[in-house]
Amino acid sequence: MSSTQASDERKIVTFSLGEQIFGIDMASLIEIREWDEPTPLPGVPSYIKGVTNLRGTVVPVVGLAERLGWTPSVIHARSCILVVNVDGKQAGFLVDEVADIVLIKDSEIRPAPDVEVGEPSVIAGLVKTTSRTIEAAQGSTDGIMVLLLDLDALALTRQLDLAA
Amino acid sequence: MSDDLDDIQAIFFEECAEGLATAEAGLSAMADGDVSAGVIAGVFRAVHSIKGGAGAFGHAALTAFSHRFENVLDEVRAGRIAPTPGVTRVMLTAFDVLADHVAAAQGTSPLPADAAVAAALDQVLADRGVAEAAPAPVAAAPAPAPVAVVEDDPFGFEPVTASVEPFDPFGFEPVTVTLDLLDDAQPVVADAPLPWTVTFVPSDAALANGGEPMLIVRELEMLGGTITGVDLSRLPSLRDLEPEHAYLGWTISVPGTVEESAIGDCFDFVAPESIVDIVREISPDIVSTATPIAAPLAVAPVPAPAPVPAPVALAEVPTLIATPIAAAPVPPMPAAVAPVAPPPPPVRPAPVRVDEAEVQRTHEVAAQTIRVDLTKLDMLLNLVGELVIRGSILADRLSPKDQERVELPQLSRLTREIQDTVMSLRAQPIKQAFSRVPRMLRDLSAETGKQVTLETTGETTEVDKGVIEKIGDPLTHMIRNAVDHGIESPEKRLAAGKPAQGTIKLSAEQKGARIFVRVADDGGGIDRARVRAKAVEKGIVAPDAVLTDEEIDQLICAPGFSTAETISNISGRGVGMDVVRSNVEALGGRVEIASTPGKGTTFTMVLPLTLAILEGMIVRLAGQRFVLPLANVIETVQPEPGQVRPTTTTGEVIELRGNYLPVRRLTRTFGFADNDARTPEESLVIIVESETAGHVGLMVDTIDDRREVVIKSLDQNLHPIRGLGGATILGDGSIALILDIEALVGPSAPLNRYPQKGLAA
Repeated sequence: MSSTQASDERKIVTFSLGEQIFGIDMASLIEIREWDEPTPLPGVPSYIKGVTNLRGTVVPVVGLAERLGWTPSVIHARSCILVVNVDGKQAGFLVDEVADIVLIKDSEIRPAPDVEVGEPSVIAGLVKTTSRTIEAAQGSTDGIMVLLLDLDALALTRQLDLAA
Repeated sequence: MSDDLDDIQAIFFEECAEGLATAEAGLSAMADGDVSAGVIAGVFRAVHSIKGGAGAFGHAALTAFSHRFENVLDEVRAGRIAPTPGVTRVMLTAFDVLADHVAAAQGTSPLPADAAVAAALDQVLADRGVAEAAPAPVAAAPAPAPVAVVEDDPFGFEPVTASVEPFDPFGFEPVTVTLDLLDDAQPVVADAPLPWTVTFVPSDAALANGGEPMLIVRELEMLGGTITGVDLSRLPSLRDLEPEHAYLGWTISVPGTVEESAIGDCFDFVAPESIVDIVREISPDIVSTATPIAAPLAVAPVPAPAPVPAPVALAEVPTLIATPIAAAPVPPMPAAVAPVAPPPPPVRPAPVRVDEAEVQRTHEVAAQTIRVDLTKLDMLLNLVGELVIRGSILADRLSPKDQERVELPQLSRLTREIQDTVMSLRAQPIKQAFSRVPRMLRDLSAETGKQVTLETTGETTEVDKGVIEKIGDPLTHMIRNAVDHGIESPEKRLAAGKPAQGTIKLSAEQKGARIFVRVADDGGGIDRARVRAKAVEKGIVAPDAVLTDEEIDQLICAPGFSTAETISNISGRGVGMDVVRSNVEALGGRVEIASTPGKGTTFTMVLPLTLAILEGMIVRLAGQRFVLPLANVIETVQPEPGQVRPTTTTGEVIELRGNYLPVRRLTRTFGFADNDARTPEESLVIIVESETAGHVGLMVDTIDDRREVVIKSLDQNLHPIRGLGGATILGDGSIALILDIEALVGPSAPLNRYPQKGLAA
């Protein structure tokens, strides 16, 4: 986090998943790694695609699309895993493509309306950005709506407790 | 209070905990009859350091009580109070109160009521004065020698300075030089007169009726006598030593100027059958059996405590011999009892030497320790784990020839040794968790009036520190439960034809990647009808539910369940076993219950041995690698056609030397549906042994390798998964899952727990 960053601003990493652009707080991000087939686990919900080796730590890999109740992502060359830290636990999320890192103001974040994802609660808010990378990709010029993911709500243990 | 002081205080409390553990172990040993000097001294030291620290931190109540306790221990250590079972019992109670005091000082519990115990301790001290401190009041002892000298610290340093100067061994003062007495027997002191040689061997019973041979020796000392030899030939080994018996004999050289009658007078009140021999020459055979000592008589308090019951002082003997200085200027005698002082400064070195011995002994008892922040240890462990993994990556990439060329095998061996050592740093004997149980049982027995003995086995089983810390609470609940619900009252037990005293067996053992901690009582067993009725009453199960015995037993662990007739202080609030189960499951373990009506109940905590290495067999299932703990593996079978036969649509058995064993296809268990096409002949069957299901065959595709793997927990970032004991990182950096055989083949492992989904190809 740079020292020039004001307290009401934050950096988010944006990425695409299906038709949507999502963002997560930079502060939670540990690393972005290429897709590598994880070791599947028995007896877990299907959105947990398995575990992978992150520098000696066993980290679960979650298919974010399945986790949101969508059809599973198709793995392609730009598929990657966002490794994040949620509540001291590490998890990797499979996303379609990482887009950009953008600076947003907290005041620009709008509360999430009833967005059509399986669980509205996992969306912390909406923010409009003017990232050229994303605009070019989306063929738009008047800004792009980014869905901010609430990683805490995605926390694996909670969901799994219910599933067990 | 500053942070620094808090830190130091925290260390003090850690030391208290260690001290308490040592003291309890020692007291328990004493209660079991081991009253050796080392044990008593260990307890004394532990209580003493608690007192010292408590004083430094201003814990007045703790200081006061530990001081009282220490007083008694000091007397016991010095042999002036015999560690009889009664005394030991008082000390055990005092220990409990001491532990409470420590907890109170920590602020975790209220100040205990110690008045009764303090009074009991004082009583022990006082009783000694009446019943056992024979030397003091004995009027028969002719000598005016102050008893206090004998009563002192076993090393008896005080009298040394008091009496040395006048009775220098060279006897310069009273001597008249007579040239014709230049005798070979007195090579050093040429100008000494021919002295009296007094041999005094008190009879065995010399200490009976308040007799005190030491007083006679002291009286001779008053006459200018010097101990020249101590006869140890009758001294038995420490184990056989009777504190009430006299074993030593002395050869005392009394200056020739003393009248024979004066010497004889000293022996007026000697016990019958004692040997008293007064001659005016040096008898060679006495010298040969006795040990010459250059030290003046005043140093005698060191060997002296022998007639006084003082096992401690005797225990010092071997150590003293071991100190190199002791053998210095005087010819080294194998049985040198006293520190032998070099002649010129006859006294001073003695205390120094004893101090050294003390230090040395302390080292033998308590190995040196160093406190290390646990996070540093964990970091080291992780790094070593990485090193091991890198090592196996290298091994994978290099041909055996290249491995030899770069000396990889040597590197691997070193790495393994480092890893073993680091592992052992974190592993602690489970004794630490068990140590609080005896105390708890004493409290519980007192509260319930039930008599319980504890049998502990496997307490040296080493478990990761993290696990030890977390099983404390579950263990407490299990023990309480066993006493409160398991063991019956003495009357009921006698009526059932059992001994009045119940037994709780506490055991720990390691099997593969799991630690089994068992609490077994020989009580009434689980009253299943009552448990069921209670569960129905509490709405935990439906009235018409059909439950197996095992399911009923498991109800004990259901939240809110309690069958106690009355809510006792101990258990019955209906949270106990529920807490046990949730705590153990949080550790990635499980609780097993086995109960036989009328015979007793056994609770088993099956815990993971986290952060450990596992000797494993790497097997392949549908292309994926798994680790099978080698400890579970009995044998591997390549099935012949027809050897594996289906029994039901899903069940199969393997015929093995006339026996039929069930076979599980792990591919099915884990939902690798696509692999069913593989025939048994193309597979391998690994016969594994499980605690609950006996021998079971597991069908796998192939065996890859056999190696040690580092266990990585799954719940660090996920949650425990039934059937898996964790994961490991293989040489190529990929992850292999470790199978938990017990959970996979045990009867409580319903296959439908593993849904067909969940394995993304």
